[in-house]
Amino acid sequence: MLNMMRITLKGVFRDRVFQGIMALAVLFLFIPSAASLSMRQVTELSVTLSLSLISFILLLLSVFLGGTSLWRDIERRYTFGVLSLPLSRSSYILGRFLGLALFLVLVSVVLGVAACVAVNVASSLYPADRPVVWSFVALALVYATLKYILLVAVALLLSTVSTSFFLPVFGTICTFLASGISQQVYEYVHSAAAVQTVSPLFRQVVTAVYYLIPNLAGFDLKINAIYSVAPNPRGLALTACYFLAYTAILLAGSIFLFNRREMK
Amino acid sequence: MYALEICGLAKTFKGKKMRTVEALKGLNLCVEPGEVLGFLGPNGAGKSTTIKCLMGLLRPTRGSATIQGRDISSAEARRSVGYLPENPAFYDYLNAEEYLLFVGRAFGMAPELLAQRTEEMLKLLELWEHRKRLIRTYSKGMVQRVGLAQVLLHDPDIYILDEPMSGLDPIGRALVKEIILDLKKRGKCVFFSTHITDDVEKICDRVAVINKGQLLVVDSVQNILQQGTEGYTVTVVAGDGRREEVFVTTDRLQSFIRDAAGESRSIEKIEPRRKDMEAFFLEIVAR
Repeated sequence: MLNMMRITLKGVFRDRVFQGIMALAVLFLFIPSAASLSMRQVTELSVTLSLSLISFILLLLSVFLGGTSLWRDIERRYTFGVLSLPLSRSSYILGRFLGLALFLVLVSVVLGVAACVAVNVASSLYPADRPVVWSFVALALVYATLKYILLVAVALLLSTVSTSFFLPVFGTICTFLASGISQQVYEYVHSAAAVQTVSPLFRQVVTAVYYLIPNLAGFDLKINAIYSVAPNPRGLALTACYFLAYTAILLAGSIFLFNRREMK
Repeated sequence: MYALEICGLAKTFKGKKMRTVEALKGLNLCVEPGEVLGFLGPNGAGKSTTIKCLMGLLRPTRGSATIQGRDISSAEARRSVGYLPENPAFYDYLNAEEYLLFVGRAFGMAPELLAQRTEEMLKLLELWEHRKRLIRTYSKGMVQRVGLAQVLLHDPDIYILDEPMSGLDPIGRALVKEIILDLKKRGKCVFFSTHITDDVEKICDRVAVINKGQLLVVDSVQNILQQGTEGYTVTVVAGDGRREEVFVTTDRLQSFIRDAAGESRSIEKIEPRRKDMEAFFLEIVAR
């Protein structure tokens, strides 16, 4: 598994998709000057822009690398050589996942350092009323990374049943979009205001989808980082447990499906 | 214990419009340790399907198979096997050296031994000079040689090669033949698929012919060639020194020699005339 993980990491770093996406990091250079456009909340805006940029880069990486890594192995027939080694398919899937997860962690660390520099520059130019709490910024970054690692697990699950990259890539994007708003939709259809307008069947469908797709709302700690508001420790612990449980379920599903897949 | 044992192996694919395609129909085959067996068949006969089932890439619909007594469904069964896929493709973002290190680690080779074997294999297959180049820059022949290097790397007891000579130039083909003959000398078991009868005739101990998913014949190459003897071409030198070539059927050979001696004609050369492996193969497949 470690062997597979090492190969995955090497492959991602040599991938042109990664190199292209990472070129976006150059935007960090413009964050201090862009943040200065806000007259009163320069530091807050610089934190917002930095975390949003990191989030966007991680999203692209998790969707494109997570969604294409398995598909590419099958499409280019690398799997014939690899799966005929004394390596179980579960080790292969876990190695791939852990490699991609480690890669996202490394990218987060590098981008996190760049974000700190950008925020520091911005806040030194226009000191904020509320000083930046770096531990909250770090927490926001950690949870954003967990969110995208979970998204990689979604992409891998979709790759195990797909013969093209459309389902893994677009399925992951759809999951990401739906999971960001599922909490609000769920709360709305179960609210008193919706009782008259929403049919019971639609409410049941929404409830089923709500439990099926990941709920990524809890991973968003941007507000806490921007306004230096301490996050709720219980909420953090629950989100971490949710991440572990949901990722484990996705990986178990991926392994189950990939074990049944035939390499024609 | 057999190196490879296949019992009633069957594989059915779902085709278009809900049709089913029987790629393998109850295959039974045993391969002894130290034996070189050629798996001969036309395109689409089921050779690659059989090999993919053995390597755990496809799940048989029915039947079972073992590699050195271990069921093919376990990854451990592949530990004693070197497998070369048909038209192989390897991670093209790695170079040959990195790929071999990856394969060696998957087989649990010790780091020192792995480094030594990697160097040996790269030199044997004339890839040493190109070891730092990414595989994506290699020619087809070079990729095939990387495939052979990763097969030989951990010195397994069993070699399963799917069309090992495909895409190679005459020099590459000669090298592969040489490697297989060397493995034979070293008592290794080689099971290789091909549709080139000449390769089988020159390399194999036994041949298994498959067509339309059914095993038609399993026999030793020697037997096949002997059975295929149609007669002999005898070169006779007459009393006046004139040479003549005469075809004599097998049953008439003894009496012909006697008669020639009686007529004071000397026999210079007796050469068997027989069907080659290709004729045998065509005859079997046409049945």
